[in-house]
Amino acid sequence: MKEVMEEAVLLFLLLVIYTPDAQGTRYSPPGKPELTRCRSPEKETFTCWWKPGSDGGLPTTHALYYRKENSDTIYECSDYHTAGENSCFFNKNDTSIWVNYNITVVASNALGSTFSDPVDIDVVYIVKPNPPEKVTVTVMELKEWPFLRVSWEPPHKADTRSGWITLIYELRVKLEGDDEWEMHLAGQQKLFNIFSLRSGGTYHVQVRCKPDHGFWSEWSSTSHIEIPDYLHREKSMWILIAVFSAFIFLILTWSLHMSSHSLKHCILPPVPGPKIKGFDKQLLKNGKSEDLLRVLVVSDFPPTTPSNYEDMLVEYLEVYVPQEQEVLLEESKDLHDSCLKFEGSTSDNDSGRVSCDSHTLLMDKCGEAKEEGRQTDQEDSTTEAEAQGQQKDWDQDTLMYANGDILSPEKSSGRVKTWPSVFSPLPQYTLSLPDQTSSLEMAKQHCYSDSLFCPGSTSSYLTHLGNNDNETLGPGSWEICLSNRQPYSHIPQMQTCQQVRSHSDVNISTIARKQEPAGLPLPFFRPTAYVEVQRFDEEDMVVLQSIVSDHGFHEGFPQMLQQEDYSKVKGVDSNNMLLLQTEAMKEDGDGCRCQDQVTNGVTESSCTLSISTTPHKPTAHIHTVVSTQDEMAQPASGYVDTATIFTLPTY
Amino acid sequence: MLGYIRSVPAVWRVLVCLVFCRNLTSIGAAPICTNAQTGCQALSLANLFDRVIQHSARMHGISNDLHSEFEQYFLPSKNQIGRVSRNCHTSTILTPNGKENAQRMAREELTEVILKLLMAWRDPLWRFHQGMAHNHDFNNFSSNKALEMSDMVHELRKGVEKVADKMQMLGIISNSVSSQVSPEALLPSDSAEWHLMRDYDLLYCFRRDSNKVQNYLKILKCRIVPEHGC
Repeated sequence: MKEVMEEAVLLFLLLVIYTPDAQGTRYSPPGKPELTRCRSPEKETFTCWWKPGSDGGLPTTHALYYRKENSDTIYECSDYHTAGENSCFFNKNDTSIWVNYNITVVASNALGSTFSDPVDIDVVYIVKPNPPEKVTVTVMELKEWPFLRVSWEPPHKADTRSGWITLIYELRVKLEGDDEWEMHLAGQQKLFNIFSLRSGGTYHVQVRCKPDHGFWSEWSSTSHIEIPDYLHREKSMWILIAVFSAFIFLILTWSLHMSSHSLKHCILPPVPGPKIKGFDKQLLKNGKSEDLLRVLVVSDFPPTTPSNYEDMLVEYLEVYVPQEQEVLLEESKDLHDSCLKFEGSTSDNDSGRVSCDSHTLLMDKCGEAKEEGRQTDQEDSTTEAEAQGQQKDWDQDTLMYANGDILSPEKSSGRVKTWPSVFSPLPQYTLSLPDQTSSLEMAKQHCYSDSLFCPGSTSSYLTHLGNNDNETLGPGSWEICLSNRQPYSHIPQMQTCQQVRSHSDVNISTIARKQEPAGLPLPFFRPTAYVEVQRFDEEDMVVLQSIVSDHGFHEGFPQMLQQEDYSKVKGVDSNNMLLLQTEAMKEDGDGCRCQDQVTNGVTESSCTLSISTTPHKPTAHIHTVVSTQDEMAQPASGYVDTATIFTLPTY
Repeated sequence: MLGYIRSVPAVWRVLVCLVFCRNLTSIGAAPICTNAQTGCQALSLANLFDRVIQHSARMHGISNDLHSEFEQYFLPSKNQIGRVSRNCHTSTILTPNGKENAQRMAREELTEVILKLLMAWRDPLWRFHQGMAHNHDFNNFSSNKALEMSDMVHELRKGVEKVADKMQMLGIISNSVSSQVSPEALLPSDSAEWHLMRDYDLLYCFRRDSNKVQNYLKILKCRIVPEHGC
């Protein structure tokens, strides 16, 4: 019993001794090693490396065994030290090319041994040469454009000279500080040029090689090279840039200079100067405002001055028919308003145009508008019979208004237009009876845009509007009367005109309008009499004087030569009307032309003119009323120069 | 012979002719161009060597590609490689297995070895191509490569023969070069069950042999005409 106990204790002690200690290390056969790689640097020798497995806690030894192709002889590695630890170096004698090696590594310790997995290799396909040697980098200069020349030698172990190994090379370049390399494949050559360098920079160059069937070598050690600064190369570039930019600058300057005028207009448009009739810029510049204003005042500026209108209205002749006087007056007033409205809307297209005094012309227009309005009302209000009578009167009126131009027996002229016989204060704007057709045309052209009664224009209207010869000029003339600035356009204001026209078509048929020669603007030689206010008498009389106008055109109107001379102010009646009377009285049949036209017995020797203005204008109103001593309408001839009447005292 | 000449793609014929047909005669065609003949531009030995070396390099490249394809698609398990004892039919031909051995060998011997190798592979490659064409496991690309390979072996052999003739003419080597191949080098009759394995072995062997040919040619060139690229 005791012996059994002792054996058990011994066994127990043995177990205690031989059991693992507190760390838990166990002794075991070694782990399986693993061949990691085999490499040959020159295809003449090769080396194999393995990774050992766990050693099992016991000292483990490794052994490499190999077998060649078609041979069962197992050889063991003869050199474990040349290539380092866990390696086997095969020298030249042991190396056979184009032979398949079967290599196995065995790890063994006290407890056992472990074989690794066998690996088949052929030396031809495991060649990894050494990096190229003697890499030299030099900077070569070629006409101020430097480049790098890189040259190298193959690794000294690789025998390329006998043709045993063929190597191809590759190099890479980068600037100092860059992250990316620039790769260049050099082939089998041992020389390479690198271009397009940055001057003043430092470059890193590396080379590596590879056999035609194998692995790339490691990169050679970096070669540093610094490129010297090539200022002259860059300087030439800057010179080129400077020349080019100077050239462009010159071209730009020249083009700007050429187009400076248009550019000036584009960028700084010219400030329109004041184009006011009679406005003198010099006075403004001199700073003499008083003179300037005086000029303005004198020269119909500003147009808002009501006296202008009144003056123009002075030319407006009213024909009083007793039974209809009230109506007519009302109509006239309305017409005045309308006329003034027109006037208000009238504005100069071209402020520089001063040939026609639009205001004076407007007066005629207003006068005619008045007449037309009257006619319209007559049409609307009266019956047909009355219309007839009125029309008859109308005929008379028109005849009178025609200024005697319809005096011709054949009534060929047929110009119902009243002529503006206004003297503007500025001498150059004097409108006088044109000598010749040409002057008329000129006047017409002058007055084209803003005048209503340009002689030429009206005549042209007549030509255009009146298609038939027998169509009286009435239609044409009436149409014009209300046009402001569009002589050829039909504006709403023309309605009255047109109405009148229609009316006048019927009535004024007797007034045969003589068609002027085709193409020629009708010379507008109205046998008008021009009256000029000469002076003011102490008796507050306006002395009017007729002006003999040239008559080169008065064919067929011999009676036009006679002038009516309304040069004396008869007086001012209660209605603030300035009564003018003629001084010279013609006793012949043409004494008062109007009378002749009317074919009524006009006996009075004095035909007074009345200049009427709208009652709206509180300023100087000069009323001239053609006072009819009988029922006949007074001749519409005899115009007072409104300009000179400005200074008349207001009533 | 005539059979697979007809089957060669037209492009390949033109290419090969461009390389060789200036000097190399077709079957029963004009004689070799000598230096003295007019209208015939003679190529230098260095040029000839360069051409055959380029040709052999291309041939080796194709064989490498085919072998990789085979290894990738048809033999996934690597264990099979070691199991089969690889016995190339050209192992009977003694070839130098190292640089010293190759450099120790005479030029004529080396040339002869090259020619023997090329000769030994003519028929097996042809049969291999035929087997690939009929076997639907391979795609057209591999089949074309196989055909190309067999043609190249044929052309390369002819080229090396021209080089040998040139060398003989130049007196570099003696006239004892022959391309006679011993019958043992020829492949034994193949059996159907080992067909796939044999194809792989065939490709493996041919890849190695084409490398040998290329290397030997380079050694020859650098030994005989070392001016360029040695």
